[in-house]
Amino acid sequence: MAMMAIAENLRVPAAGRPSAADARRYWLQAKRNQLTPYMFIAPNMALFSVFVFFPLLYALYISLREWSLIDTPRFIGLENYIRLANDALFWQSLRNTLVFSVATVPMSLAIGLLLAVALNRDLVGRTLLRSIYFLPVVISNVATAVIAAWLFNDNYGVINTLLQQIGLGPVAWLSSPRWALFSLIVTTLWVRIGFCMVVYLAALQSISPTYYDAAKMDGATRWQQFRYITWPLLRPATFLLLILGVIYSFQVFDLIYVMTGGGPGFSTTMIVQYIYQAAFVSSEMGYASAMGMVLFVMILLFTLMQWRVNRRVEDVA
Amino acid sequence: MTTITKRGFLKTGLCAGIGAGAGMYWGAASAQKAASLSMTSWGSPAEVAAFNALIEQYKARNPNVAIKLEVVPSGQYYQQLDTRFAGKQAPDIFRAQYQRIGRYGQSGAAIDLSQYLDAGFGQDFLPSVWRASTFRGKPHALPHHTDTFALFYNAEIFEKLGIEAPRSLDKSWSWQEFIGAAKLAKEKAGLNYAFAMNWQNSNAYRWLMYLYQHGGQLLDNELKGPQINTKEAAETVAWTQSWFTDGLVPPNTSLKSSEPVQNLFATGKIAMLLHGDWQIPFIQEQAKFKWGVTYLPRDVAMAADLGGNALAVSRDSKSPDVAADFVKFMVEEEPMRAFVTKAQFLPVRKSLKDKGLVYDIRNEEMKVFLEQSATVPEHLVSTIVMPTWDRFNAKLADELELAFTSGQSPTATVANIEKHVRSTLLV
Repeated sequence: MAMMAIAENLRVPAAGRPSAADARRYWLQAKRNQLTPYMFIAPNMALFSVFVFFPLLYALYISLREWSLIDTPRFIGLENYIRLANDALFWQSLRNTLVFSVATVPMSLAIGLLLAVALNRDLVGRTLLRSIYFLPVVISNVATAVIAAWLFNDNYGVINTLLQQIGLGPVAWLSSPRWALFSLIVTTLWVRIGFCMVVYLAALQSISPTYYDAAKMDGATRWQQFRYITWPLLRPATFLLLILGVIYSFQVFDLIYVMTGGGPGFSTTMIVQYIYQAAFVSSEMGYASAMGMVLFVMILLFTLMQWRVNRRVEDVA
Repeated sequence: MTTITKRGFLKTGLCAGIGAGAGMYWGAASAQKAASLSMTSWGSPAEVAAFNALIEQYKARNPNVAIKLEVVPSGQYYQQLDTRFAGKQAPDIFRAQYQRIGRYGQSGAAIDLSQYLDAGFGQDFLPSVWRASTFRGKPHALPHHTDTFALFYNAEIFEKLGIEAPRSLDKSWSWQEFIGAAKLAKEKAGLNYAFAMNWQNSNAYRWLMYLYQHGGQLLDNELKGPQINTKEAAETVAWTQSWFTDGLVPPNTSLKSSEPVQNLFATGKIAMLLHGDWQIPFIQEQAKFKWGVTYLPRDVAMAADLGGNALAVSRDSKSPDVAADFVKFMVEEEPMRAFVTKAQFLPVRKSLKDKGLVYDIRNEEMKVFLEQSATVPEHLVSTIVMPTWDRFNAKLADELELAFTSGQSPTATVANIEKHVRSTLLV
């Protein structure tokens, strides 16, 4: 494309070989055209470097050191990584994170899709309903968590008050290892389904109605239309939501910090919660960075794997 | 009779004005060079108001000095302070708990203040808090105030149930008597829970006062080895664990919870609250019932928690001499009296303790805290001011949380704490 643009735009001598001046001009123009895309992405790359890439390198540097933030970092080699491999709490927090992800990601996608399909029809008040479902997405997670903590509060929460009025409870929603993770999962679904719904709604509206018209003429049922038209065409949206959902679940922090603080015990300690504790409660910045690097590699591997799987599915299709 | 002309009057007045001004300037012996300082702290509205009033007093004495107080929520305070140190942008002056001074002193984040202090400066301070403000014998902060724990109680519930709160320290309840009162309050007052303890938000060290009450200690007398894996320690874990298993305290008041326990007391959800003197203004404002304060329960010994804070000068300060001068001013007798009486704390100057104080609110209840503060064990102070305490405190919280909420046995808990003592505290 770039070469074609050069050929079209440059003044070519009427006959014979181009002069040295023309050759230089071609070269400069070609270089300029090559540089243009980089100029466009430069602001993004600058921000990405400052806020993501360099901190990532710095985290790698710190992960090989012992540092409490207020003293001088001391090189200790791979000690933090060796400790991490033998740290039962790290593995427990990883296990908790996996359980949390498995519980929240598929359900938030399923409920989000269900709502999107329902609200994609001509319903009275659908704009209001869409806004209500989307509301938790635009509210700060901390505010949502504070509201949820009040709802689930063992002593004066709305849920327990209502349960007690019908002769049930009180349930130790946030202070029992059995219920605390459940309360967090419910709150996360409340936050996430609005986002999934909006992405699915946009994807649904981009599907041409002609497919459905053709399917109806062929006698396809509603389920068959969904199974063979809607679902395959929603794959890019599902793929995006799956990746974002897993990343969100692996990085969940604010909800847990406000609602349970990782307790009771370690029952809701997720990996980022544990990183935070190591960094800012125990002042072990090197160890926290080592865990951060492991989390980074895990999310990277998952994303690459998903990306490959998705590409293979698309190729087959 | 001398006639004073208008011009003469003006001249005389001008000279007198300059003279008075000069007199005022030179009279202010501590007037400082121009400096702009920042100070960071957390605090209740009463503490912030007391800080600001004293800053204004200092500025009136030193018109060239500007001081800006930055108030940070207590939950994020140390995280933010440490991050500022990492970025070499720490405030000139910072407030820190006695348990943290060793760490800031060891790393050099809080500078050695010896060069700014006259010989014998520390003599009027209570020995325990002066020691807590030093690292390797050098003062890295100046003790500002102390506080301790006592037992708040709902006097209306007590009256109704015929429970009489102890009226003197030597008559303080035994552990059994305290639990008896708690069970009675839970059963007869229609409450779901009887009491709560304030040890949330990284304050696990407050559990140690029960350990000392039961005759145990975390470290040996020389502070060289652990002494936690003992019968006394396991029994203390079992006793505090029973608060949860017997349903005497709300299950969401364990160490990792973010439940503000003072709200439970102020709203009448519980009959008793183990908390510090600084909660008095909040409870005074919020509780709509008669309440009082009595002494902590005791077992084989009496023991209370060492609370309170010191003021330190950071290594990032551009004017450490002026910052040190301000910190010295804050711990002078009169500013200290003003601060502790307004914000409901206990003084750390012996002279102030001897003279007695009149608190703005609940003077009688503050006397209970003052008496209780005399029961802080010296060995406990030496233990919690170790530079590595901060890191260990997080591990202690983890283990106690597991015992209280997840059924970890007392023997396993003390064995695990012992491991953490070896790997984290004594390194």
